Amino acid sequence: MKITVGQGSCGIAAGAAKVLTKLESFFASEKIKVGITGCIGMCWLEPIVDVTDDNNVLHRYVKVSEDVAAKIAQAVVSKDFSVASEYEISEDDNSFLTQQTRVALRNCGLIDPENINEYINIGGYSALKKVVSSMSQNDVINEIKVSGLAGRGGAGFPTWFKWNAAKQSAGDEKYLICNADEGDPGAFMDRAVIESDPHSLIEGMLIGAYAIGAKEAVVYVRAEYPLAIIRLNKAIEQARAMGFVGNNILGSSFSCDFRIKAGAGAFVCGEETALIESLEGSRGMPRLKPPFPAQEGYWHKPSNINNVETFANVAWIIENGGQAFSAMGTEDSKGTKVFALTGKVKRGGLVEIPMGKTLREVIFDIGGGIKNDMQFKAVQMGGPSGGCIPAELLDTVIDYKKLGATGAIMGSGGMVVMDETTCMVGMAKFFLDFTAKESCGKCVHCRIGTKRMQEILTRIVEGEGKEGDIELLEELCEAIKDGALCGLGQTAPNPVLTTIKYFRNEYEAHISQKKCPAKECSNLVIYEIDKDKCVGCTLCSKKCPAKAISGEVKKAHSIDADVCIRCGQCVNVCRFGAISKK
Amino acid sequence: MEQIKITINGKECVCNDGEYILKVAKDNGIEIPNLCDHDSVAAFGACGICAVEIIDNGKGQAFPKLMRACATKAQNGYVVSIDSDRVLRSRKIALELLMSDHEGDCLGPCKLNCPAGTDVQKYLKQISEGNYHGAVETIKKVIPIPASIGRVCPHPCEQNCRRRLVDEPLSIAFLKAYAADKDLEGDTFRPVAASSSGKKVAVVGGGPAGLTAAYYLTIAGHNVTVYDAMPKMGGMLRYGIPAYRLPKDVLDKEIAEIKALGVTFKNNCKLGTDITLDELKTDNDAVIVAVGAWKSMQMRVEGEQLDGVLGGIEFLRDISSGDGEKPDLKGMNIAVCGGGNTAMDACRSAVRCGADNVYVIYRRTRSEMPAEDIEIEEAIEEGVDFKFLTNPSEIIGENGKVKQIKLQVMELGEPDESGRRSPVAVEGKFEYLDVDMVIMAIGQTIDAVGLDSIEKTKKGTVSANAATFATSDEKVFAVGDATNRGASIAIEAIGEARKCADVVDSFLEGDITPFREKFVSKRNDSDVDLSDKPKLERVKMPVRPAEERKHDFDAVNLGFDDEQKVMQEAKRCLECGCHDYDDCKLIRYADMVNVSPSRFSGKKNINDVERKLRVIERNPNKCVLCGLCVRICDDVAKQGILGYVGRGFSTVIKPEFNNDETISVCANCRKCFDACPTGALKLIEY
Repeated sequence: MKITVGQGSCGIAAGAAKVLTKLESFFASEKIKVGITGCIGMCWLEPIVDVTDDNNVLHRYVKVSEDVAAKIAQAVVSKDFSVASEYEISEDDNSFLTQQTRVALRNCGLIDPENINEYINIGGYSALKKVVSSMSQNDVINEIKVSGLAGRGGAGFPTWFKWNAAKQSAGDEKYLICNADEGDPGAFMDRAVIESDPHSLIEGMLIGAYAIGAKEAVVYVRAEYPLAIIRLNKAIEQARAMGFVGNNILGSSFSCDFRIKAGAGAFVCGEETALIESLEGSRGMPRLKPPFPAQEGYWHKPSNINNVETFANVAWIIENGGQAFSAMGTEDSKGTKVFALTGKVKRGGLVEIPMGKTLREVIFDIGGGIKNDMQFKAVQMGGPSGGCIPAELLDTVIDYKKLGATGAIMGSGGMVVMDETTCMVGMAKFFLDFTAKESCGKCVHCRIGTKRMQEILTRIVEGEGKEGDIELLEELCEAIKDGALCGLGQTAPNPVLTTIKYFRNEYEAHISQKKCPAKECSNLVIYEIDKDKCVGCTLCSKKCPAKAISGEVKKAHSIDADVCIRCGQCVNVCRFGAISKK
Repeated sequence: MEQIKITINGKECVCNDGEYILKVAKDNGIEIPNLCDHDSVAAFGACGICAVEIIDNGKGQAFPKLMRACATKAQNGYVVSIDSDRVLRSRKIALELLMSDHEGDCLGPCKLNCPAGTDVQKYLKQISEGNYHGAVETIKKVIPIPASIGRVCPHPCEQNCRRRLVDEPLSIAFLKAYAADKDLEGDTFRPVAASSSGKKVAVVGGGPAGLTAAYYLTIAGHNVTVYDAMPKMGGMLRYGIPAYRLPKDVLDKEIAEIKALGVTFKNNCKLGTDITLDELKTDNDAVIVAVGAWKSMQMRVEGEQLDGVLGGIEFLRDISSGDGEKPDLKGMNIAVCGGGNTAMDACRSAVRCGADNVYVIYRRTRSEMPAEDIEIEEAIEEGVDFKFLTNPSEIIGENGKVKQIKLQVMELGEPDESGRRSPVAVEGKFEYLDVDMVIMAIGQTIDAVGLDSIEKTKKGTVSANAATFATSDEKVFAVGDATNRGASIAIEAIGEARKCADVVDSFLEGDITPFREKFVSKRNDSDVDLSDKPKLERVKMPVRPAEERKHDFDAVNLGFDDEQKVMQEAKRCLECGCHDYDDCKLIRYADMVNVSPSRFSGKKNINDVERKLRVIERNPNKCVLCGLCVRICDDVAKQGILGYVGRGFSTVIKPEFNNDETISVCANCRKCFDACPTGALKLIEY
């Protein structure tokens, strides 16, 4: 009998820590130990409790409250699992997992991230053993080359190439750096890996350090991920204690120390040269490239930087061979990709699929389609650097080139689903609000250009848009793409360009007719009461903070549009569905 | 090091392998605009305006992206364009974005409002130092007759002087006259004319416009003759403006200076009568028409043909032409119709000629009068009777002579296009004044004799291009009161003529260059905080008492007599214009690409001007965040005092940690100041 409670940040936020305490209290006398795992990636079902019974049958309980925990305890003690069977995951929900192929997330939600032995028991660190005992640096790089692994942080640059460049750079002092500064709004892939399976990351990094000849490895992780930092620290200490980290690793001549640097939360530090500046203690501002980090990086020494997910694949590739990895995916993009599926989708969470699946398969088959059976409108990929892909392109194959052709990007894995109630201009504005704030301030195009774009978008959603604003935005977009110094600036126009490309009519409606087709922009909607449906209960007028609603008891009410502040409270409180946005 | 060849804008450049393109260009005398590059520190890549297009990488391929010239190493065979459409577009938009976030006055509001663009701030500084010769040299870059103009100009500079928001504007015009008078007393500033171009220019009209054009074309090396219908040069300054405002000896001295420069004067030579335009065209390489507007406009009321009705211009000309002999108007009642400066000149002249009663007939009220306030004030002091809200409706005569004027009583209605409330007749309400003379000073127009072949405007003025001053005849240019919208103030005519001289100079060189207003950064008065400026009283011009001055045509103003006061007055200048305008790379490039930043206008990142460093004032609102000060302080001065603070649009450079201890290590080396490409850093005296 094995009982575990998922303890990722998201699960804990949903109440998993309380459930854990509750279960532990039940079993204190029974001498049954309750274990923890990381996050399995089914956000909408948290908290999740897994019970593997004596017949090795897994009972997965979802949305577990403290009351449900009591039922589970009863089932465990009585060994009669029928008493809690109604809380087990449904076939349909389970298909979220069964349709996935997990490589980077292979251990997430299955092992205790705070116990290195669980990792070792399922074959962890054997890839490292293989590398230090029987592979040359070139062998490792070659295996990665065969795998076709490309940078999962978003750019999709071949990993082996960077490793090789760093290896070939002159000098003894080299650094291997992991970029765990996951900053895209709505993205949580890297956090999940670090919180749920830190040793995969450490092992992947050690192999990378071996390949390039680095004696020091640094994980740059954002300080907003406290649990990830705690678990990673624990994992490093455990790995050090067992000889995986430090001098003469596993008795070989390979030595590599490990260190964590907590970033202060600037988005731009996800850009590799800004990250290096920050690591060195300077303000996070991008450097000019060339020289590339492989030539002059951390302390101007050859350095290699990869993203968390990239490293999480490495041990698997060494164990299973590069060909096993490249057997998955498309001509252009090999292996699997992890996505953080969020937004107006029924089942949101972590999705890892082989490259080559379509967006429709991810959103509708795995994600279960759109919440409340609304219409799918678009999916935003790649966060502030990415773009929106509309319904007519749902059959686009997930592949670096194919996604790039839409104007969006693969990105690091953020996948935000939007339905018909999302205003696309507002969406673009959201991302520009973000980049305008997060620009490091160094280059003119990004610092002022994104601000001006944000101002133009703001006036459009506020109904103050002018004829020519779309063209002005397009002109700014092109100029910023061409002129900005780093990836943050060069890609900042993407959310605007793709929404103009696919939803130009929405921009035009805002500007010319002062209408928001999605009825989301508060300045451009009016709230109205349907006289036939209103029973005169007065609830809305009582709740209205602006005193914009008037009417006699038991008679139809009305809203004074001039007074109304469009907060939407009346819609929320009306029990008769009498109030709507026009 | 290996030598390689690259091509920049068609020019082959030999350089060391791996040299940055920006440096290669600089070494070969090609300027690639840039703000954040400096020889003393490593490439940074912030401003992005040095972006160039590499159209061939030496292997027949173009770079897909624009490259920063400051940070791109030259490789053999590179073909670089620094001004392709794509490059220019990118550079322009970068500069527009920078200017859209730039808060500063390139130039003082005084200079901006001067039609001639006089560098007021500079000459006030020179006057404050007692350097009158230098001040006149500054002024004479645009005005050849400062002593005269200083006396008569309605000084639009003073209207905009920002000190008016603290106490009162500076007495700019009188300071100008003071400096010019001082300079005329001694070794007068006289520019050196360029060596002769062999080109001949005829200027028709010896008023402020014609004299100005002649002066600057002579300096440029051309052979200029001014033709004028009157016996002496000066135009309206001599024959329109009464001597009590502009003593003729002052004008004579300044005109003598122009003559001394080498200008030929031909007086008593009227176009169309004594000489024709065709003759002038035949004998010259270019002709400039500056004949002014010498005809008074008619009022179109009954009785206008009566004896005793005359135009203001004609009235004033008659007084000025008589060799010191003023007409005797003793015992007469005179009505002057109009509210402008000509009306004031006419009524005050009439007083001086001994008239019993002088009335000014004006259809609005005093506050709408276009005349200068001081003129009205002084006219009242001299006994002129203002009949506001009346309009001549008929001049009644007896035996063919003026006897009475019938005035329609008016009231003010709705504001018109000019924002002034327009007068409306009060039906049936009239007043009568017994008068012997009616002077019409309601406007003036051009006497176009001899200009038949030149295209005119609907108003009958000569039609001249606003940027080239060219007329319908390619060899003929026209400026001043005779053109386009007609009569205006002297400084307008001078401003036009100064620009016209440059255009005609380029025309004579064979390639006509139209005048273009330079792009400058401006601040709104409302955005300027002057709360820390102490109030300082404006120096008053001493005048003769009304009872004394109203009997003669001697100068009303006595002139400043205390040099200390003059210098103090000049020191009241707030020095609104940027100290770095002449050396500012930002504004030079912005003007070069002809930016229009208003299309990107939005919020500006405004921060306090600070004086934490001992010798340097830092104005973040003029900062372009090129980071040169930060990097030079770090890498060259080895101090590391400055750093970036904040993120995104609100990023600002500040002394690191804003800590006084950090700042105290500043060694006052001024390296940051020397490198700053804009006026964001300013040296201060301590």
